Amino acid sequence: MFFENLSEIFTTPKYLDIFFNGLKLTFIISVGAAILGLFLGVIVALVKLTPKENKAMAIPRLICDVYITIVRGTPMALQLFIMAFVILTIRGFPQEITAIIAFGINSGAYVAENIRAGILSVDIGQTEAGRSLGLSSRITMTKIVIPQAIKNVIPAIGNELIALIKETSIVTMIGMQDLTAAAKNVGAGNNLASYFAPMVVAALFYLAIVYALTFAIKLIERRLRASDKR
Amino acid sequence: MISVKSISKNFGDVKVLKNVSCDIKKGEKVVIIGPSGSGKSTLLRCMNLLEKPTGGEVWLEDKMITSADPYLHPELVLESATAKKLIAAGMESGAAADKIIAEKLLKKNEGRAFAAALSAYNAQNTIPLNLARQKMGMVFQHFNLFNNLTIMDNLTLAPVELKLKTKAEAKEKAEELLERIGLTDKANEYPSRLSGGQKQRIAIIRALAMEPEVMLFDEPTSALDPELVGEVLSVMRSLADEGMTMVVVTHEMNFAKNVATRVMFMADGVIAEEGTPEQIFTDPRHPRTRQFLHSVLNKD
Repeated sequence: MFFENLSEIFTTPKYLDIFFNGLKLTFIISVGAAILGLFLGVIVALVKLTPKENKAMAIPRLICDVYITIVRGTPMALQLFIMAFVILTIRGFPQEITAIIAFGINSGAYVAENIRAGILSVDIGQTEAGRSLGLSSRITMTKIVIPQAIKNVIPAIGNELIALIKETSIVTMIGMQDLTAAAKNVGAGNNLASYFAPMVVAALFYLAIVYALTFAIKLIERRLRASDKR
Repeated sequence: MISVKSISKNFGDVKVLKNVSCDIKKGEKVVIIGPSGSGKSTLLRCMNLLEKPTGGEVWLEDKMITSADPYLHPELVLESATAKKLIAAGMESGAAADKIIAEKLLKKNEGRAFAAALSAYNAQNTIPLNLARQKMGMVFQHFNLFNNLTIMDNLTLAPVELKLKTKAEAKEKAEELLERIGLTDKANEYPSRLSGGQKQRIAIIRALAMEPEVMLFDEPTSALDPELVGEVLSVMRSLADEGMTMVVVTHEMNFAKNVATRVMFMADGVIAEEGTPEQIFTDPRHPRTRQFLHSVLNKD
């Protein structure tokens, strides 16, 4: 029964279409949100790392603190609902844009904390040595601290991206047809009338994406660690 | 060369430096000794502003690195609203300035005239911090070589980034310095492959690559295995022989005896005693100096 359903999914153009459209939507939301999240994360981390004596940045620092607190303190589903039913979709924005913005804003808070932790993990002596030679704080940051921080940050960012891809499945709650919704749709009574095989197919798709991403992160890590071994 | 003018440094409620003043003259080799926690590293780190003094000024030759401390300038104090109030109440201007300085009466806002005088003084006398630091090499206890760069890049990064040398010139200078300490073969290694003694010698020539006028050493041998201390001290000694101005915080009493032109003994945030090494080591006057030297020189 299971194998018959499986082969039916892969031989019926209608079911394949549903799955590929779902996969496409999951992909678009994940990539869009990841780009937005990384961009936001870098900016928020840099703002939060400005020294306390820098009074001009006091208000931006406060805004970033509030942002991180709210995003990390409330459920993703609720954030998505607010974006859709209160702010964006209700004003006519396409659902894809709503989802990308909601997940991007959410991811940005976590990425910011990862980047901040990575930069703080670089020994303060590295900064002191750079500054004692007369280098500006910008050059010290870009030439010495950030190259060392990236190595520490990549695994954490990788985890965040993996979590993001899987979390996009909650867009089914605002009626979007992503990969998870596709499995439900194919398994429904008017189609296969059995959920087992389509759920397994969706799971395999997610697994394949996450596995490919894990592999890519490992490659990047290995290249960055070259200076540790030599 | 370096003038430290009554600097103080507080970490929270802890007063690490209390009104410390000293002058380092060109060509001097000043060794600072003292028990841990006495403020000697903090004093050294205040000289190039890695630690920002709570009060006081640091001067490099005739230029100020810190911003002005008004309490050191009676003529600035007299511009303050507080001084004008005292004078209006019938006090003589000299006495008013003395009273404000002695009792530290300046408030956060002392009026426009005071702010203008202070910023005019700063504009006239300060040198940009990064420019001052280029002239003051610093060597750290934990070496602090740039871990992401090869030895060659460690040596050439600052001169090239600051446009003091072209890449080729910087490389030539670096090779010359590496040859001097006998580590030419390590040019393309990363710091993680070097021993502590090698790292510290590279750290010294990294500072020298900037052709500084004075070198600051912050316990350069304290993190080394005993058998590696000698190679670092011998590089420092040869540097001293060439006439480099040096300020060294160290526990190596033999280095202090043989190389120093002046020894400062610090205790409890002040310079308790200073003098020639002969005087400090054979005839210490301050009881704290005697007690300290007794305990470090008779370890066994």
